[in-house]
Amino acid sequence: MSGPWDVIVIGTGIGGGTIGRRLTEQGLSVLFVEKGPAGHRFEETPITGDIWQAHARSLRGLSPRAVQAKIDGRESRFFAPLGAGVGGSSVFYAATLEQPERHDLDDSKARPHPTGGWPVGFDSMAPYFNQARQTYQIHGSKDPLGEPVQNLAPPPAIAAMDAALLASLHARGLHPYHAHTAIARLPDCLNCVGHKCPKKCKMDGRSAGVEPALATGRAEIMTDTTVIRVLGEDGQVTGVQARQNGMIITLTAQYYVLAAGALASPNLLLASTSAAWPNGAANSSGMVGRNLMFHLNEIFALWPKGRIKMQEPSKAIALRDVYYQNQTRFGMVQAMGITARYGEVLHYLNQMFDRSRFAKTAMLRPLLRLPAMLAERLLGGAQIFVGILEDLPYEHNRVVATDDPDDIRFEYQLAPELHSRRRGFRRAIRRALRGHRMMFLHQQAELNFGHPCGTLRLGSDPHNSVLNADCRAHDLDNLFVVDSSFFPTSMGVNPSLTIAANALRIGNHIAKITKEKP
Amino acid sequence: MTDALKIAVVTGAGSGLGRGLAVELARRGVKVVGFGRRQAALQETGGLAGVNFVPTVVDVANFDAVTTAFDGIEKTIGAVDILINNAAVYPQKDIFEETAQSLMDTVAINLGGTVACSRAALTGMVARGRGRIIDVASFADIAPIPTSAAYAVSKGAQRIFSRALHADLADRFPDIILSTWLPGMLATDMGLAEGLDPNLAAKWGACLALMSDRTLNGAVFERDLELLPPQSFKRRVVNRLLGRRPNPRRLTP
Repeated sequence: MSGPWDVIVIGTGIGGGTIGRRLTEQGLSVLFVEKGPAGHRFEETPITGDIWQAHARSLRGLSPRAVQAKIDGRESRFFAPLGAGVGGSSVFYAATLEQPERHDLDDSKARPHPTGGWPVGFDSMAPYFNQARQTYQIHGSKDPLGEPVQNLAPPPAIAAMDAALLASLHARGLHPYHAHTAIARLPDCLNCVGHKCPKKCKMDGRSAGVEPALATGRAEIMTDTTVIRVLGEDGQVTGVQARQNGMIITLTAQYYVLAAGALASPNLLLASTSAAWPNGAANSSGMVGRNLMFHLNEIFALWPKGRIKMQEPSKAIALRDVYYQNQTRFGMVQAMGITARYGEVLHYLNQMFDRSRFAKTAMLRPLLRLPAMLAERLLGGAQIFVGILEDLPYEHNRVVATDDPDDIRFEYQLAPELHSRRRGFRRAIRRALRGHRMMFLHQQAELNFGHPCGTLRLGSDPHNSVLNADCRAHDLDNLFVVDSSFFPTSMGVNPSLTIAANALRIGNHIAKITKEKP
Repeated sequence: MTDALKIAVVTGAGSGLGRGLAVELARRGVKVVGFGRRQAALQETGGLAGVNFVPTVVDVANFDAVTTAFDGIEKTIGAVDILINNAAVYPQKDIFEETAQSLMDTVAINLGGTVACSRAALTGMVARGRGRIIDVASFADIAPIPTSAAYAVSKGAQRIFSRALHADLADRFPDIILSTWLPGMLATDMGLAEGLDPNLAAKWGACLALMSDRTLNGAVFERDLELLPPQSFKRRVVNRLLGRRPNPRRLTP
């Protein structure tokens, strides 16, 4: 196959992979354009900041360059935990695909929404959440406090350590459930949390998206191909320019789907300036790149009661008892799938160090080994949990234009209300777990740079949003966005299920308008 | 795990340690493809190793021939599970007896052969996600003795290549397991009369080649004992405080 293509999909993570599959299954032809390499199918490459050479990172499907960030006025450079290869970041992810709560999307008297509600309500998304659970072979148990769910396969058996924790959380009156994970649990499952899965067991943008799309025979993929500019005029995209083997090529299709991630997608649109688009593509509102959100991670160690033998950690336990309290948006709590071991603690401390004001004194970095060893001694036997705190949109938090599409730069300030919500969240977690031995592992606010979103927000007003309810650019009739850029708010759950569900929704929409075309 | 391993390539199988390794592996039920330059010598090895031995005349310094040989093995015999980079020469020449060309010819065998065979074997190993590579190495680079320039340089570089290969592969392919083995001074044509019996060393080498534990990736063995990487002073102190003892593994003959 070599075109003409119905749809060009830029980026092959959860958003791009999922919509590509849906489009091909609906009979459309798709060209995936992926900045990173095809990789090797038997890789078990972990996500890491330890490899710093750009080409070596790229070969592993890691984002090649460090991001430049100005956070609370302080400049820093670090490797965000983001992928850049077939499957995007999702090949590394922990495959936690949790459904948001109704109040994450909808406005109501009881739970007012900070943006007045998403233009696509919870009930419109619900069928696609169900479809995404099927596509991603999600296993888990129902959240006793949440909305009904379909297509949830029964969870795998849990380890004794987890069973003990579940029992004591129940006894405390809490409502723990088995987290919803997109791991098919094939024989000899390696539980690929944090690294690529060599089997078709972990469901991600590659195994549940790109590979099934290619299998239909209606899709093709160009890897090592970086889209550097969107071309167009009169409210239409006419093509995209890409760099491939040092050459500049132009690719064309009827429709263009941007799914490069919430940092790279706005960066590409901002870079696509022209006489007609002085502020970049799809940016008459000036909102491209704005409203950048992350989650805040509140990481803590939790010990099972009694003497339980330390086992391999599982990412089994989740709870939503403190998701929303006293008119305040917090988020869910879940096991991270790690126990407190030396390597994990050291890795975590190193990450903190690289973003701190000591980062320039690299000589000090090895000193972290000692506190890590002490921490391991102190924490042995604990399961590491994370509370995901919702971040809210602010226009001054944004991705800013750079000269090179490979360079990402953003500015972010932690809002005073976020600091105070954070204190409330920690108090609520502590209170909920009373009677358990637990310890927060950090005092500083920890942004989750693996969960960027909101930078091409969905909205009904073209003056303060970039996309309409169909995730189509207000300014451009044939440009759609299906990565987490579209999120009007960051929600209190991991973003993947919502990205996948939305990609299925927009896939159906594009298939429908293509078929209606004369 | 060892049951899954079936086909091994042993370079330099026409004499010395290579012959011993071929015989030992064949005895343990492995199909051994023996590389060597001399057909007669390989046939002699075949006489000792039996039906599991496949002689293949190939000069490891001829990189195209190496690639062709691996392609042929994958097509006609099957997937190469194990590669033992054993072929090496030790010319014992004073620097005035060497030309730049003659020295680099030795490098082409001792380093180039390892590079060419590893590269060719990896094509299949990466496609299957698993494999085992053993580099037979030496300490000759640490304190070179007279008349060892070509050998010391090439064997030192071979160990650096092993470490670089490990850096390229280990995080991505934990089931392609690379180990370095220093068999020590042997009583072979290349070694010393009072050296170790190559047939005993071959038993250790065969044992190491048939182990496929992920934790052997990047491991170094000297004779039959694991050579643990040097530890920083701080790490030694902490290990002492925590009561942790280094525990090198031993190969069984």
